Amino acid sequence: MATKLIGERIKRKEDPRLITGTASYVDDIKLPNVHHVAFLRSIYGHAKINKIDVSEARKLPGVVAVLTHDDIKGVLKPMPCVGGVPDMHTPEHYPLSGGKVRFVGEAIAAVVANDRYVARDALDLINVDYEPLPVVVDMEKALEKGAPLLYEEYGENRGFTWKISGGDIDKAFQEADRVVKLRLVNQRVAPIPLETRAVLAQYQDRGVEGELTVWTSTQIPHGIRTSIAGMLNLPEHRVRVIAPEVGGGFGCKVDFYGEEVLIPYLAMKLKVPVKWVEGRRENIQATDHGRDQINYIEAAVKNDGTVVGLRVKVLADMGAYYQLLSPVIPTLTGLMMCGPYKISNVSMEVLGVFTNKMATDAYRGAGRPEATYLLERTMDAIAAELNLDPVEVRMKNFIQPNEFPYKTATGLVYDSGNYQAALQKALDHVGYTKLREEQKKLREQGQYVGIGISSYVEICAFGPSAATATGGWESATVRIEPTGKVTVLTGSSPHGQGQETTFAQIVADGLGLTMEDITVQHGDTAVVQYGIGTFGSRATAVGGTAVYLALQKVKEKATKFAAHMLKVDSKGLVFRDGKIFPENNPEKSVTLTEVALAAYLAKDLPPDTEPGLVATAFYEPKNFTFPFGTHIAVVDIDPETGQIKFRRYVAVDDCGNIINMLTVHGQVHGGIAQGLGQALYEEVVYDENGQLLTGSFMDYCIPKAHHLPKFELDYTVTPTNVNPLGVKGVGEAGTIGSTPAVVNAVIDALAHLGVRNIDMPLKPEKIWKTIKEHAPKKGPIIVA
Amino acid sequence: MRIEGNHTLKGKPEKVWNTLTDPEILAKCLPGCEKLEKTEEDTYKATLNMGIGSIKGTYTGQVKLVDKQPYSSFKMIVEGKGGPGFVKGEGILNLQEQNDHTLITYQGDAQVGGTIASVGQRMIQASAKMIIGQFFTALDMLQEQQPPSSETSSGGAPSGSSSPPPNFFFKVTLRYLWNELKKILRIKN
Repeated sequence: MATKLIGERIKRKEDPRLITGTASYVDDIKLPNVHHVAFLRSIYGHAKINKIDVSEARKLPGVVAVLTHDDIKGVLKPMPCVGGVPDMHTPEHYPLSGGKVRFVGEAIAAVVANDRYVARDALDLINVDYEPLPVVVDMEKALEKGAPLLYEEYGENRGFTWKISGGDIDKAFQEADRVVKLRLVNQRVAPIPLETRAVLAQYQDRGVEGELTVWTSTQIPHGIRTSIAGMLNLPEHRVRVIAPEVGGGFGCKVDFYGEEVLIPYLAMKLKVPVKWVEGRRENIQATDHGRDQINYIEAAVKNDGTVVGLRVKVLADMGAYYQLLSPVIPTLTGLMMCGPYKISNVSMEVLGVFTNKMATDAYRGAGRPEATYLLERTMDAIAAELNLDPVEVRMKNFIQPNEFPYKTATGLVYDSGNYQAALQKALDHVGYTKLREEQKKLREQGQYVGIGISSYVEICAFGPSAATATGGWESATVRIEPTGKVTVLTGSSPHGQGQETTFAQIVADGLGLTMEDITVQHGDTAVVQYGIGTFGSRATAVGGTAVYLALQKVKEKATKFAAHMLKVDSKGLVFRDGKIFPENNPEKSVTLTEVALAAYLAKDLPPDTEPGLVATAFYEPKNFTFPFGTHIAVVDIDPETGQIKFRRYVAVDDCGNIINMLTVHGQVHGGIAQGLGQALYEEVVYDENGQLLTGSFMDYCIPKAHHLPKFELDYTVTPTNVNPLGVKGVGEAGTIGSTPAVVNAVIDALAHLGVRNIDMPLKPEKIWKTIKEHAPKKGPIIVA
Repeated sequence: MRIEGNHTLKGKPEKVWNTLTDPEILAKCLPGCEKLEKTEEDTYKATLNMGIGSIKGTYTGQVKLVDKQPYSSFKMIVEGKGGPGFVKGEGILNLQEQNDHTLITYQGDAQVGGTIASVGQRMIQASAKMIIGQFFTALDMLQEQQPPSSETSSGGAPSGSSSPPPNFFFKVTLRYLWNELKKILRIKN
């Protein structure tokens, strides 16, 4: 079979409607008599609610309902957390909180009105009698004795302790020549999808069997359907969830939020369609945050740079409650703590900590950026301590290409890899040796130039079901219609990844059709068979493989029909240019359209064959996949202002086989932008009273185009044998590789001053201050 | 958030003290003050309409004067809440005679919450400075126009009906800005 589309740069089928503004997001869906919801959210980080008086709000013309915790108590169940770890304190929380609030932005009342603005105005008429309580926002302080407690009943702010280890860590430290220690802060950031969350619900009471339809901006429509059915005690087949166009998720929409059950509940209760569209300020307050770890690292090293042991203690900020997966995120940091290195003795202890802040949960990379950051910062610290080149330390510790499949000390089995090749390619691109010489010269002239390397391996394609919270398989249906056109249904509901294009490529190649012959449908539980969703760089590796397997099934059947029609043996038939023919006799052919028509007309069926040309596959992966790569950043720092200027940014990623070079590029671009954002600009800041200080884009800085360097991208290709496509996943690679590369570059630029660490975000003021503290004093200080 | 500064008002501390503790005058001089009602001795219920940057809204709350040392100092405790969030703070005002004028120095701490904290934080300090500046400018202007009727008006009758003269706050703002400009341009009176 001639491959012509897989591997090519194919423009995305999705883009014309996105670019022309004709795509339809939740807020674009108009239903007659729709009512709007506005939420009253806590303005205190921690307070007792003595009383909520909603009587004035209820009187406002246009308001049809005002609900508080008392109205849903006993009606709605507490919100679920499926990402549990053993022996954890699991606090209950509801779509509307009562009694006590624990973070700024926590929903405590909902107003429903016939107009969006009336609903908002009514919020001002609700009178809440708060009794402020002491607040704790800092994890280290939260663990101290006598700290204010979020949950008196637990007697501590520790939510859980989770440990992982391998090898003999104590022995490793006894045998080490020295121990390199670091304390790193991986700050809290906000995922900031351009489309905020939005939910619209309609209940059609059809006498006996009502049907609930919910449109929500989510990455997991089927999971949401099951959850809504469970929460509202509805039969699942009477619930339909639609994720229409979704304007970005980045992990924060792999969640089940209170609003996603409350809006449907209101639509059923009030018998009108009900809509809620999250405001931008609401989004920064009340949609999952990411990262927020403190890492205490001890690396046991030999004088030649070999890392013999790694011991890490992690404080992971859970915020005030767990969302769907909160506790699981830092465990991924633990699983990936060996990175691309052969570290045989490891141990990690993770403490999940409650603080008066919004919950943390998945954010692009989810636990792996934290692992890569702590490892890659440690590698540079070891190089600095031993006066070795950072490249040498990495090369010394890398797993060798001939050692795959490689079992890590944390129990994972890396599928395939060649970390040396990716690093070497990146070094060649950037002209490493020459750059180091130049850096030395420029340093002598008083210029600060830094080169930052980050080699990563990540865990993708979630995953074997045994190792995931809610099933790790994916589903697909390939349906050849009677005219020979093809509809593909994927359970891997996308939100910007371009599955409509890449899955069409897989199917078009397999059936010998063009891109125009294929349509990929997703996101509607009434249309698509049950699926898991798009997250953890799984769409192509798991969802794409399901498509591939369904394709094989449908091809097998089409082959039977073609052989029957051509009166030839089915072996050796190929699909090409819309036709099916024996490879050694192209003249004797039948078109796919003819085959499809014959399959549906069913006048002359092959023996033991059903009519129709449809196949569904559920693919259960036998392992995760482990993409890898190296990113290198080269920066100039202005010693007078602390400003950073990028000289170069080189990324060499290896995501196995590539289906579409253009979408891979797109994923890497976006990923680097977000990872660089964390390194230099982004930080969710709460003050000591738990007030969110970065509540708008005035104070929460996401990088704009002018903040970004030119991306010099390249790839190595090391296919995986986990799936038949040989693909690994690339959705999060950019975020994982870029953050440490940028930070390492900045620290390297200041290394000659003795600077070993600055915590992110590396704002000019921080860099400037560090330079002032470390710079050698020139000559006597003259006091005027 | 720390708030501190000073302001010089015309007149001796006795006169300034009486002005400062006269609710009728306070109501006129507080920018955006819609209502100031005395609920008990030295305690007032206030309704203020204020905007910090783009965050505008009405706040209701309480102003309390405590630790009064006549003619030299008092402590002010303010608590207010409204649609955009809450404000809580206390500060000490000191009065000191200086060449027939009175130098008022103030220092205090304020806590804000809700939208004003998350969106307005970086403007709050500047806004607070401006509001305080406008307040003292208004006091100054009002003293010029209608000096307090008697020395015993301290803690006098509740206001309510009294409203500022027409265009008063417009004039106050102009005067305030002019004063600021003079400082910047170093123009001396």
